[in-house]
Amino acid sequence: MSDERTLLTEVAAGLFRDLCTPEDVVAAEATGWSEPLWRALTEAHFPYVSVPETAGGSGGDVADACALLSVAGRYAAPVPLAEAGLLGGWALAAAGLPLPAGPVSVGVGRPRDVVELTGSPGSWRLTARLHRVPWGRRSTRVVVLAAVGGERYVVSAPTSSAQATPGRNLAAEPRDTLSWNGAAVSDDSVAPAPPGVDADQLRLRGALGRAALISGALARVAELTVRYTDERHQFGRPISRFQAVQAHLVHIAEEAQLAGMASTVAALNAAPDPSFFDVAAAKTVAGEAATGAAAAAHQAHGAIGMTKEYELGQLSRRLWSWRDEFGSERYWSRELGRRLAEAGADELWPRISTGLVSA
Amino acid sequence: MQFGPTTLSPAEESLRREVREFLAAELPPDHRPGLGMAARHDPDFSRKLAARGWVGMAIPPEYGGRGRTAVDRFIVTEELLAAGAPIGAHFVADRQTGPALLHYGTEQQRRTFLPAISAGDCYFSLGMSEPDSGSDLASVRTRASRVEGGWTVTGTKVWTSLAHLNHFFAVLCRTSPVEDGNRHAGLSQLIVDLHAPGVTVSPIPYLDGSHHFNEVALEDVFVPDERVLGEIGSGWRQVTSELAYERSGPDRWLSTFTVLREFLREGPGKAVSDEEATVVGRLAARYWAIRQLSLAVARALDAGAAPAVEAALVKEVGTRFEQEVVEVLRTCAETEVDADSGSLFHALLAEAVLTGPSFTLRGGTTEILRSVAAKGLST
Repeated sequence: MSDERTLLTEVAAGLFRDLCTPEDVVAAEATGWSEPLWRALTEAHFPYVSVPETAGGSGGDVADACALLSVAGRYAAPVPLAEAGLLGGWALAAAGLPLPAGPVSVGVGRPRDVVELTGSPGSWRLTARLHRVPWGRRSTRVVVLAAVGGERYVVSAPTSSAQATPGRNLAAEPRDTLSWNGAAVSDDSVAPAPPGVDADQLRLRGALGRAALISGALARVAELTVRYTDERHQFGRPISRFQAVQAHLVHIAEEAQLAGMASTVAALNAAPDPSFFDVAAAKTVAGEAATGAAAAAHQAHGAIGMTKEYELGQLSRRLWSWRDEFGSERYWSRELGRRLAEAGADELWPRISTGLVSA
Repeated sequence: MQFGPTTLSPAEESLRREVREFLAAELPPDHRPGLGMAARHDPDFSRKLAARGWVGMAIPPEYGGRGRTAVDRFIVTEELLAAGAPIGAHFVADRQTGPALLHYGTEQQRRTFLPAISAGDCYFSLGMSEPDSGSDLASVRTRASRVEGGWTVTGTKVWTSLAHLNHFFAVLCRTSPVEDGNRHAGLSQLIVDLHAPGVTVSPIPYLDGSHHFNEVALEDVFVPDERVLGEIGSGWRQVTSELAYERSGPDRWLSTFTVLREFLREGPGKAVSDEEATVVGRLAARYWAIRQLSLAVARALDAGAAPAVEAALVKEVGTRFEQEVVEVLRTCAETEVDADSGSLFHALLAEAVLTGPSFTLRGGTTEILRSVAAKGLST
């Protein structure tokens, strides 16, 4: 890791350690929000990491943003950090639109979503219905893509004019339905989408962000389980001495390392945007890792892991949510398999053996 | 624990291209790929590979080797395995005995064996397991007694892969009785000529009927002093570190790759079903991730680290994955496996089903690896 990136993650870890304790996470779940944490992150310029400074962002690249997300995942941070920089901020900056001071989220085009932009400069109107928008009701703006005639646009939709129906994921993180019904949208909230700013790239960035969050959470799950099984005595010895328990520890470590490697390489390879193969592979691996490691960690912990106060449950419920968000492992492995089949059997090995290509 | 992502240098990428070109030229169009290190024992192929400098890569030039890095060897090995190339003759000598001789051997042993290993001319088997000693290697009963000018060895080794085709094997034996309950003391390694008087190699038919395993009976076999590998009494330390070298390379996760490739080739091609696409995509993603953990271990070794826990994790997860690939593809193909149908996918699948259980046994069982890794995780 570059020195700058190491510094970034160390500073972030300090901030989360202070403001994102397991107690803070429990408290935030009641409201779906941690204002002190978000304020501190904003003051430290973390939300817009990877968005160019010239556009009002904090600079850095996709790998910096993912390193930060990995730290956030480790602390189960109840804030829309991935949505801010990697997704919304990226699209707004690319389209030359201002970055809002408050949280920004994104609608990536789910199957039942509707987005209709009508009018022209001076009279833009938005009619839209977006499902399961991360922290939708807590966001100032939601970035969506719209087409008018043959033109594609980036829209920075103000949530002040939206009707919100609260929803949540398994970890009680807000996943809201937002509707706009012919809402007026100002000219500084609509701009043509440049090439490359499209639904596919948003989905890739969303999936990469979730893979990074998962890898951070899994690293913590691995530590917690090693610690717990060393401290917990049964039959007169630490349960980590039992081979059956050791099998869980090894399984968790392997899955955590696989997810960490896959998401890190996918982020480092982004030049400047993440690529399909890397993200599809990383989200597939991370999703599978989340499933396997969460199950093994709960088994090794026993009943304490099933309590709301204990840290494991905060992490496992996020793992069970994040693995599905922005495409489950089944979605990404199917898309990946289609492309590999298209490329043919002899292209399989060259593709698998292309790992990290830029450091 | 640290697995650092690593990228290949331009020189390493060009080595990969050279190996691919070599394989494209050397392997005939009707080449029947093998499964990992169990691929065909083919001295001609081993010598051709050696002529290109791709055997004995870990051995310094002064002993006839190439003095290359662990990553260079990783690249050559993964290309050979992905192609199912016939590496059976030299593989163990190259991976394991060569480095052991380099670390523990005498100057004379290095000069005797290393140039021949590096030339692809000298093949080794492993002499560890016995009828009553498997995972608990310290319990070996093969015994060597001091005689003038050397040792006489008596005992029986089993599961000795390819002993009927190879030249030597490194025998773990007891050179002094267990004292004060210290079972790890008094063990030594001797290099035994598989054609020496008193050595009897008999086949133990493999599960699929092939001749792979052997029993090697040693009856008062004379081993001269100059064939003692390392120090008398240090066999345990030597053998355990030797297991660490061999642990996490591409041979621990690529054994069944050709089954997937032929599934893709013989399958429905571009008209792939959702289920087939999901299977192919998932396996490819996991290959991609496991490979980079395995490569990270090679890079760490080159940096002078001793990534023992990391290596154990890669082998544990990699060998289980090799087996899983087989089962997932069998399920997806939804067919009766027919080795004689003329389909290469079927032939490879049949071999993989029949020999797959060995992947998580050889070189340290899954259970032993878990206990090695778990101890490292807790500290």
